Amino acid sequence: MPVTTTMRRHTATALLLLPALLFLALSFVAPMLILFKLSVTAKEGPLWAYGEILGNAVYLRVFWNTLVVAVAVTAISVIAAYPTAYMLTLLKGWALTLAVYGVLFPLWISVLIRTFSWILLLEKNGPVNRALVASGVVDGPVQFLFNNTGVLIGMIHVLLPYAILPIYANMLRVDGRLMLASDGLAASPWMTFRRVYLPLTMPGVGAGAVFVFLLSLGFFITPALLGGISNLTVAMLIELLVNERLIWSLAAAASFLLLAAIAALLAVAARFVPLGTALEAR
Amino acid sequence: MRDRGAGFRFAVHGLGSAVLAFLLLPILAVVPASFNHGTFIRIPPETWSLRWYQRFFADPEWLSSLWTSFEVAVIATVLSVLLGTSAALGLARVGGRLRATLTGLVLAPMIVPVVVTAVALYYIGRYWGLTGTMLGLAVAHVLMCLPFVVLNVGVSLRGLDPTWLRAAEGLGASPARVFLTVTMPTILPGLFGGAVFSLITSFDEVVMSIFLAGIRAKTLPVKMWETVRLEFSPVLSVASTLLIVLTVVLFGLFRLADRRAQP
Amino acid sequence: MSNRGLAISFRGVARNFGSVRALLPIELEIGAGEFLTLLGPSGSGKTTLLNIAAGYIGPSTGRVLIGDRDVTDLPPRRRNIGMVFQNYALFPHLAVFENVAYGLHARGVPAADIARRVESALEMVRLSGYGGRTIRQLSGGQQQRVALARALVIEPDVLLMDEPLGALDRQLRQHVQLEIRRLHRQHGRTTIYVTHDQEEALVMSDRIAIMRDGRVEQIDSAETLYRRPRSAFVAGFLGESNLLRGTIAGIDGVDARLRVDGFDDVIVGHAADGLKAGARAAALIRPEAVKLAPDARIKARVIEAIYLGELLALRLSLANGQVILCRRFACDGVPEGDKIGIVWQPADVRILPDDAPARPQDHNVEEN
Repeated sequence: MPVTTTMRRHTATALLLLPALLFLALSFVAPMLILFKLSVTAKEGPLWAYGEILGNAVYLRVFWNTLVVAVAVTAISVIAAYPTAYMLTLLKGWALTLAVYGVLFPLWISVLIRTFSWILLLEKNGPVNRALVASGVVDGPVQFLFNNTGVLIGMIHVLLPYAILPIYANMLRVDGRLMLASDGLAASPWMTFRRVYLPLTMPGVGAGAVFVFLLSLGFFITPALLGGISNLTVAMLIELLVNERLIWSLAAAASFLLLAAIAALLAVAARFVPLGTALEAR
Repeated sequence: MRDRGAGFRFAVHGLGSAVLAFLLLPILAVVPASFNHGTFIRIPPETWSLRWYQRFFADPEWLSSLWTSFEVAVIATVLSVLLGTSAALGLARVGGRLRATLTGLVLAPMIVPVVVTAVALYYIGRYWGLTGTMLGLAVAHVLMCLPFVVLNVGVSLRGLDPTWLRAAEGLGASPARVFLTVTMPTILPGLFGGAVFSLITSFDEVVMSIFLAGIRAKTLPVKMWETVRLEFSPVLSVASTLLIVLTVVLFGLFRLADRRAQP
Repeated sequence: MSNRGLAISFRGVARNFGSVRALLPIELEIGAGEFLTLLGPSGSGKTTLLNIAAGYIGPSTGRVLIGDRDVTDLPPRRRNIGMVFQNYALFPHLAVFENVAYGLHARGVPAADIARRVESALEMVRLSGYGGRTIRQLSGGQQQRVALARALVIEPDVLLMDEPLGALDRQLRQHVQLEIRRLHRQHGRTTIYVTHDQEEALVMSDRIAIMRDGRVEQIDSAETLYRRPRSAFVAGFLGESNLLRGTIAGIDGVDARLRVDGFDDVIVGHAADGLKAGARAAALIRPEAVKLAPDARIKARVIEAIYLGELLALRLSLANGQVILCRRFACDGVPEGDKIGIVWQPADVRILPDDAPARPQDHNVEEN
């Protein structure tokens, strides 16, 4: 009797999991495996595609540009997110609700719309340039679009909430009495920040930085619309190889190089940053 | 507690508000842009009109993409909710490494860059006849929506005390009855949340759709993507505004239901 | 550490939170080297007063002086105070040594001196060799001692402690009380200690300030508070007490006569200041002042008799239902349910303004 009950339980569990697992196997795992196979079965040789990408200055430049953009986006996002998250901890009542929705709302608006919006704002005759020219800050309109400036602005706009949320969640967990204790021990506000508050909020900063960095490595829409052809990112390169140049093996190799970088980063980050608890912030 | 210095607070609030404005204002900029009269978008418009709304609703291509978006979103959401709820219930019944591995697998499409998943699915989809079809789009969207459903249902499942299930069984309820009377009411908020997130995700999805869409199956974001690469037509801001309104309505409905579910 | 710290005085210090008057204007002077305990129920304003001393809260009116220095407008970091928080507020990311050294770093003490002073502070709280441990590796009692060392190592002018033993279990609490007392004897620094536990107050303090509703009700040595409380509230807060409520029948010099409710007798006792004939009042008789006498006029029934080793604790019920506590050195057994006679000396009775909230044991009891 206990044997059959256990077996029935296990069968039920398997049946519950089966549909989703089957779906993932067919629509995610199998395609990824086939893509991997494509990357190592070019007619020029098994490792040709990887060698071609890693050995070609053009492709390496794309990887380098992606890395530079990701680092810049991450750094600026975290620096902007920190005081914003701190402000959230100071707010109460309706102001807090409003501000938190202000951070969450953009997450639910399509990246495409947000990017399009930036095109409208940053255009030569857009409101930003008109305001800059009118106020006399610049003589003529600034070229924001189709270069890395536009890409940075657009990506930071999309990714900033991913930095704010884990930092804010971390700040909420910091015991406020520690700052009082530091003050009581004659520490200056700067020392209190540097020796107590900053170290205690570093896990949140780390988690936010990892999220932003990971997401920006694979970003496609924003750089494709706001960037120029001279500042390709890896995601744009993959799309280009598939849709324009039809070299599947190179696209597959680029994909797996990108994935490998992300996997390596995650493995390292998981040692230092509590990514799981940071996700709970949502 | 004692004031930490008015200057400091002012600086923090100033910086924080500036960042919030940076997050929110650009999104809202497309709304006035959609009421332009001229052919070139100006923010704010010089003359206001509903001209581009008329253009949007008179254009069969825009309308059919809007309709396709609805259809794909509904199919993807139904599939995601069914698969995701079942998976979340199953995950709650396994433990340790297996659970971690399976959860990782379900969440993996969130971590793998969408371009990579899209290219992989596109390649295989060409052989399986998925490209350019509603089903292909729906499958791709389910991949993006599934994690939200599993996470949301999983969170509400944590509120389910296993002793309730045993109590219900002990009172002589059949497994089906236990599910309907105990499990279902507990996970309903999570299920509803997952469904709303799925709808929004599917409506907004671009990258997967660009690869898998065809002439016969083109969602609104794909149509917008194609248009924006050719011209900055004011119709784009109309489509954007419609999507924003839709998202806000869905999100509002969700918050309302969520608040009612948690007294 | 020969410095005994400085005197601290509160001159008309008051604090409102919105419309709530947390602290009414208080005049209080704590001498250099004195150990003063603020004792009172929650909401009595004791923590508010401590936080005003520390500078975490500013007073709505009044001045705070440490020594001759007006510190009212100074933030905590400029006051040279040592603060021990309720849950210690030790820095979780710093080792024990770094926690204790923190205040010295902030004061720019040279590294060599820091090492020496931290070492001797850890020795003082009997934690030598624990400098490298993380806070999480310590027990609650050890954390408490680190917090003390951190507060003392800076040689504060005033040491402030906010219910520092609240998180410890009872046995450890008794041990640490003695430890704090020993340390105070050793360093002799001016100390303000906040607690709601009368035992802590009795063990450690030179003087105790009983607080209630934002006022200092009475401030005196433990013995004076116990023997000559100024109100029924103070009497009830420190030690066990019997309060017999009634109306003043008359005042004869230092004595008052109290007509107790539901009781045909008049109780005579030493009158507190400011009592007038006809006013409501309560007679305080400590349990140890109640004596058993077989032929005494006042009869009581034994509800409960408990042996506490050398003491016998009795709960007696008078004819009007009033419950009387009585403590005797263990003598002959008194069977529960028996009727006995009790007496007390007028010298052991104090007639006090009746301001204490009625407690169940003061009145008729339904049990038995």
